Amino acid sequence: MTFDWSVIWTHRAALLEGAALTVGLTVLTMLLAVPGGIVLALMRLSPNKLLQSVSLGFVEFFRNLPLILVIYWAFYVMPMAFDVQFSAITTALVALVLNVAAYNAETFRAGINSIRKGQMEAALAMGMSRRQAMFKVVIPQAARRILPVIASTWISLFKDTSLVSVIAVSELAYTSMQIRAQTFRVLEMLTAMAVIYWLMGYPQAKLVDWIHRKYGVKE
Amino acid sequence: MNFDFSPIADNWRFFASGLGMTVLLSIVSAATSLLAGLVIALLRLYGPRWLRPLLVFYIDSMRAIPVLVVLIWIYFAFPIIANVTFPPFWAALVALTLHIAAYAAEVIRAGIESIRPGQTRAALALGMSRAQILRKVLLPQAIVRMLPAFGSILTIAIKDTAIATVIAVPELMHRAETVAGQSYRPVEVFTAVMVAYFCILFPVTRGVDRLYRRFAHLGRS
Repeated sequence: MTFDWSVIWTHRAALLEGAALTVGLTVLTMLLAVPGGIVLALMRLSPNKLLQSVSLGFVEFFRNLPLILVIYWAFYVMPMAFDVQFSAITTALVALVLNVAAYNAETFRAGINSIRKGQMEAALAMGMSRRQAMFKVVIPQAARRILPVIASTWISLFKDTSLVSVIAVSELAYTSMQIRAQTFRVLEMLTAMAVIYWLMGYPQAKLVDWIHRKYGVKE
Repeated sequence: MNFDFSPIADNWRFFASGLGMTVLLSIVSAATSLLAGLVIALLRLYGPRWLRPLLVFYIDSMRAIPVLVVLIWIYFAFPIIANVTFPPFWAALVALTLHIAAYAAEVIRAGIESIRPGQTRAALALGMSRAQILRKVLLPQAIVRMLPAFGSILTIAIKDTAIATVIAVPELMHRAETVAGQSYRPVEVFTAVMVAYFCILFPVTRGVDRLYRRFAHLGRS
């Protein structure tokens, strides 16, 4: 068996581009999924029964589906439902946001609920409005508890972006597999793909641990 | 828009066998992951000191590399170095176990460490051996506390089996792709399969919640 590792260096530009798209997709998805999660959590906590059940239904549905299936589904259903052809990246983004927003909604809801009721009551008794109590008392405390969980979601999301390779979004996984198919350098390219993911993911995992140590809830 | 769900009705046996494969692969890989995770957690807690950095390195690496990459590497690249070929099912089982066991190990370690050290000291003072303490004092309490996490490991396993479609394991997701491609009815097929996955996963997540609520009091100390 002879291996030719130079193939990785030859294709460094494409691999870098792929890695950049992986990071870009992660950032963009999170930027959209955090507001999405907040809206869903507020709907769930609102007194309106209809809003509650819509939010609950959305969250439970997308949390209980394999992401790869949601990606395929978005790929085929979106053009039909809206009668427009979407680019693969848009489709990928929609599928990822649907999935991550559902997780974030649960995170936000649990975070807000974890602040004892007495705090809200005390704030109201001090003459704060409901909005003031929420934004000045509850949310600042909840945010500290939410941060570590969002950090964990971030790592999962970073890894899950590899799944959009099935609809030919040219992020790191897809790019590596394309080069593999063109050059027949299977072992070299797949190992390079794993190593690049590792190089990007490992520091993030360590950072998440640090955030957990610093901000995690200690009982 | 007109929908035609007949490809699903016509191929129901094909889908049913895919569903069977999904259930089989997820149960087996969740079980092997828990076993491997238990061994890793125990080695990390009580094993030789030099082994610990290696185990931490393995666990953190699996948190950093996507399961898709592990699957594809095990199926396509590993046979080149090792000169063996796996059938897709076995490659998927190995890759999923490799990936999920890292999570299981963390869950189990956290569970065991959550039992106050005073209990271990008390048991030692009573003359119990380390193995006895683990079996009779720590694990019975820790397992109850770990129940919700075990449930999420099972749901992760079920969801991850869908990714095994990329190495052509004949599970539900792969069957869906096949039928969608042949019948030109991807919307109907993927929607039906979505409902099927939801019907498997929802009861699992709910069931574990209820189970936990019933047994939670056993884990208190």
